[in-house]
Amino acid sequence: MKTFLRLILVLAVIGVVALIAFIFIPVQRTPAQTALAADYTVPEGQGEYTMRLADCAACHTADDGVPFAGGRPIESPLGTIYSSNITPDPETGIGNYTLADFRAALVDGLRRDGTHLYPAMPYENYRMLSEEDIRALYAYFHDQLEPVSNPTPETELSFPFNQRWALRGWNWLALGDPGFTSTLSDAELARGEYLVTGPGHCGACHTPRSPIMTQAALTGADDAFLSGGEIAGWTAPALRGANSAIRGWSAADIRLIFATGRNAHSAVNGEMQLVIRDSTQFFSDEDLDAIAGYLVHLNSGEQAPAEPTETATEQLLASADPSMDLGPRLYLDNCGACHFVNGRGADEVFPELDGSSLVTANSPTGLISMILHGGELPSTAERPERLRMPGFAHRLSDDEVATLASFLRQGWTNDAGPVSAADVSALRDEPATN
Amino acid sequence: MHARAQAAREVPLDQYQPEYLTAAEYAFIMAATDRIIPEDGEGPGALETRVPVFIDRQLAGDFGTAADLYMEGPFTPTADPFLGTQTPLTPAEIYRGGIAAFDAWCAQTHNASFADLDAETQDAAITALSEGDVPLGPELREFWSLLLQNTREGYFSDPQYGGNAGMASWVYIGFPGARGSFFEWVGRPEAYPLGPVNIAGERA
Amino acid sequence: MARTDPKKDVVIIGLGWTGSILGMELAQEGLEILALERGPDRETVPDFQYPNVIDELKYGIRLGFMQKPRNSTLTVRRSLTETAQPYRRLGSFLPGDGVGGAGIHWNGQTWRPMAEEFRLKSYVEESFGADIIPEGMTIQDWGVSYDELEPYFDRFEYMAGIAGKAGNLNGEIQPGGNPFEAPRSRDYPMPPMKQGVDAQMFEQAARAMGLHPFPRPAANATQAYTNEYGMQLGPCNYCGFCERYGCANYSKSSPQTCVLDALKRMPNFSYKVNSEVLKIELAEDRATATGVTYFDEAAQEEVFQPADLVIVAAYSLHNVHLMLLSGIGDPWDPVTQTGTTGKNYAYQMNGGTSMFFRDVEFNPFAAAGSNGVSIDDYAINQIDFAREGFIGGSYITAGISNGQPIRGISLPAGTPSWGAGWKQGIGDWYGHSMSIGSHGSNMAYRDCYLDLDPTYTDRHGRPLMRMTFNWKDNDIRMTQFMRSKIEPIAEAMQPDSWRSSYKSEGAQYDVRPYQTTHNVGGAIMGEDRETSSLNRYLQTWGQHNVFVMGASAFPQNIQYNPTGAVGALAYWAADAIRRDYLPNPRPLV
Repeated sequence: MKTFLRLILVLAVIGVVALIAFIFIPVQRTPAQTALAADYTVPEGQGEYTMRLADCAACHTADDGVPFAGGRPIESPLGTIYSSNITPDPETGIGNYTLADFRAALVDGLRRDGTHLYPAMPYENYRMLSEEDIRALYAYFHDQLEPVSNPTPETELSFPFNQRWALRGWNWLALGDPGFTSTLSDAELARGEYLVTGPGHCGACHTPRSPIMTQAALTGADDAFLSGGEIAGWTAPALRGANSAIRGWSAADIRLIFATGRNAHSAVNGEMQLVIRDSTQFFSDEDLDAIAGYLVHLNSGEQAPAEPTETATEQLLASADPSMDLGPRLYLDNCGACHFVNGRGADEVFPELDGSSLVTANSPTGLISMILHGGELPSTAERPERLRMPGFAHRLSDDEVATLASFLRQGWTNDAGPVSAADVSALRDEPATN
Repeated sequence: MHARAQAAREVPLDQYQPEYLTAAEYAFIMAATDRIIPEDGEGPGALETRVPVFIDRQLAGDFGTAADLYMEGPFTPTADPFLGTQTPLTPAEIYRGGIAAFDAWCAQTHNASFADLDAETQDAAITALSEGDVPLGPELREFWSLLLQNTREGYFSDPQYGGNAGMASWVYIGFPGARGSFFEWVGRPEAYPLGPVNIAGERA
Repeated sequence: MARTDPKKDVVIIGLGWTGSILGMELAQEGLEILALERGPDRETVPDFQYPNVIDELKYGIRLGFMQKPRNSTLTVRRSLTETAQPYRRLGSFLPGDGVGGAGIHWNGQTWRPMAEEFRLKSYVEESFGADIIPEGMTIQDWGVSYDELEPYFDRFEYMAGIAGKAGNLNGEIQPGGNPFEAPRSRDYPMPPMKQGVDAQMFEQAARAMGLHPFPRPAANATQAYTNEYGMQLGPCNYCGFCERYGCANYSKSSPQTCVLDALKRMPNFSYKVNSEVLKIELAEDRATATGVTYFDEAAQEEVFQPADLVIVAAYSLHNVHLMLLSGIGDPWDPVTQTGTTGKNYAYQMNGGTSMFFRDVEFNPFAAAGSNGVSIDDYAINQIDFAREGFIGGSYITAGISNGQPIRGISLPAGTPSWGAGWKQGIGDWYGHSMSIGSHGSNMAYRDCYLDLDPTYTDRHGRPLMRMTFNWKDNDIRMTQFMRSKIEPIAEAMQPDSWRSSYKSEGAQYDVRPYQTTHNVGGAIMGEDRETSSLNRYLQTWGQHNVFVMGASAFPQNIQYNPTGAVGALAYWAADAIRRDYLPNPRPLV
């Protein structure tokens, strides 16, 4: 018995010591994965370009705020996290960060003082950044950008999520190997894979999360990668597999949506509008082609959707039959003007509703929000027009939105579950995402 | 929401409190619009569609106050009508003066104000007004054309302006309102069957 | 006390079609450009937003997108001896204001004039003799030929995304198009619009009579379209709310859908709204302009905006008003027949026949601004002027553009205008009528012109412009000729009844009913500085750094809707400025 108690005591002591060590012994930083030449200099323009590749503005610029001065609230399942100021201001930004400090933030999720960043910062993905890209980002944020003094709000999550030390354990589970090695032999495909998995951090939204909120897969070799996730209640559609939102899209279709936010099938919505606005529209043609090629590759085993034929829904809408149900009637009275009775809209202008990943998403949040509050495409060099869909909150009751959304989810060849008025009510007072 | 349900919630016409018109003027508008678009025969009349409410609100607003019109003098109300309105009066003032002058003419000619005449005599009085046989003076000479035009506006405009209650005039003639989606109906030879929707999204 | 702002390379007066085009073309040269728009800013959403813009009372009747006479108007008289009265309420014509200008509220009919129209005086003299030109008619050549302008028509039509069917491709007549049109270098960028029952019936009747029907050229998109600036149109859904409305569907070509979001991205371009230009300021020697003075409504003060180049791109009437106020050119004097500014104001001579068919369903609300079918068998280049006794021509057309009930339900002759009979009439005839119209030229005359009114002033204290205009026998004979051609077509279609409305002898100009917003002339282009305000590049003869866009440059009115020619001239002038003027600023002729 005594021996047992002694053993318990020893284990407890070891446990406490381990916990203290776990909490207080600094985490080892991951060193540079590639040794660059001593006289390596970041090519002209590469800093800003890599910033675009990694879409740093998405989180680090507040609405109406100075670019990269932080303070943007990011809603997470754990609570609201405020992004940090990443301008080179020594007091409130990263002015005192060395390259090693900066690298640790990107690949290990560590602040300069050694404390953990919340993984709203996608260091699971940035961990794959090449050393060249890390150097480019450092050059841009530390050396090129003007410092902006902007103290950002402290992120104050409730217990236990405010125990940042616990992220050390999370990181053990979440993080893959540092650096990036493609499994693809084709150089363009490999470039596309790198951009998607690393700097583009597409998986942060489009890959499902594990029960402890890690990305379920970090590379394309795993079928879970880009198989669909969620962001702020909106479904981030699957980009591969049987439910892929881009099934049947050509490389040109995919290139166009990244360059302009719109293509023959779809128009980006929700957070993806910001990704186009701040990031992908600035990608080089080579990189857009590489990404498009890689995403086509990910979908290469999938059957393209059948060619559209006249559906019963289209026939009903075209009949203008006064005895039609409320759902199709609401469609004619609110949607048909742009999306037409065949639900196919018009290339690059009015998105398709038949087969739309937004319409048929598991979560109807995005669809309801779009009906209530509308959406706007960003202006890009290739397609400068800020096409906007107006919201219909003032025109449709909760019941009517639910009836309309349910009709859309079942109309034409769509087959998704109904929407309730309560679903709508919860979203009515939320502002549009943009 | 169904438009008839919405219309039923409105204050009855005879209890409506006008914003611009006096009680006597409102009684005139009720009576006159009822003759311009009467209830009898097919289709709704001006009262069923609440045209008097529309006219009162228009006169109380930018239309009545000539907010958009060029109202600098000198004014030559006797100018050739082909040169357009030249009265110094606003539309609201034309109604005020026009109703008073027309009612005075009715009193002199038919021994009662317009609202108190029987329908047949009212029609005769309106005929005289419309044919320029009621002496109004040049500053008021647009009174009839305004009254006729505003009555039609109240009958046919979107219900948000107070008239066209229940979109009844649109239902009557077969105008589908604020739908804006007819691609598949262009060149189709049969009558379009679906009822109207208004800007607020109500259906009839 | 006027504020003076830092100098710009270019100031553009008005941000409609031509202001947007010149803005885009000159911004591509890297110039610092400021556009001044007197009206408010306007964007598809929220200003033309579905379904709010489908509001006949607000926009079709109360004219929500048009200029308010309180802020801007003119006076009108019919003869040199009549006292002009203010155009207090909009009626006969409806100038717009705000960003996009008339380009937001037009129907979208986008034509090219006949080649003969650009050299009308020479054509008449060569073909029929100078003596057929009546006393007092002051028609002129434009100083630019159709062949020179063809590439610029093409450019405008592809920028604006016009739907139609070519009738003459490089001299080869194309079946289904207009065989009488001048040759075009390629077909329209989009296929023609769908046709309503009325247009189909007209087409059949016209074809059976040996005429040559073709679809109207339309600035209402028939498919998704992307233009040279990356701007986009979506296909029209025939909502029936086109003219007087902004387009809810991104379907009607306008500065908003075709130029502005691209232009706004240019860092060297900026624009200010609610900024009405009061005067173009001239240098002491009057050989150049130094900039413009405008009223900044937000700051409630006058601002002097210096600029090296002034592009006058307001509505045609306002272009002329500004020139008169600024002393650009000498005002036209109809007695001495000297001066040029204000000369040759012209309008449009239209007529029509309404037809009633009890058993035909036209569904008039399923319509667009410019679908329809036309014939050009009686075009200006198809008529023997000497034989017929007039100079001019019309296209003849059928195409219901809306079914808006307040704006008018056509009723058979004898239907009462009020009472039970009227109500029965609207029930019986809504959706059962159609019309065939003639859209014709209007010649220029010595005593049809624009000058400053001696009595009335605007809110800035400036004299209003005075329009002197009336219908003339020549043009009345022309429209009566069209009547004689239309009525047999109408009868051949066997309606239950029909009635006609054409100007007849002695007709006087009436400013009250809407006719058309095709006000042209007053700052006309030409070959000779003694007889025109602008040279062939739209440059004022007197001030080489002032260019004047718009239909004010037309020496007399063409038989077509003006926007196609306005757009082509804008690109033509922009090209001359870019290629020839900017490298060496000087009079180009």
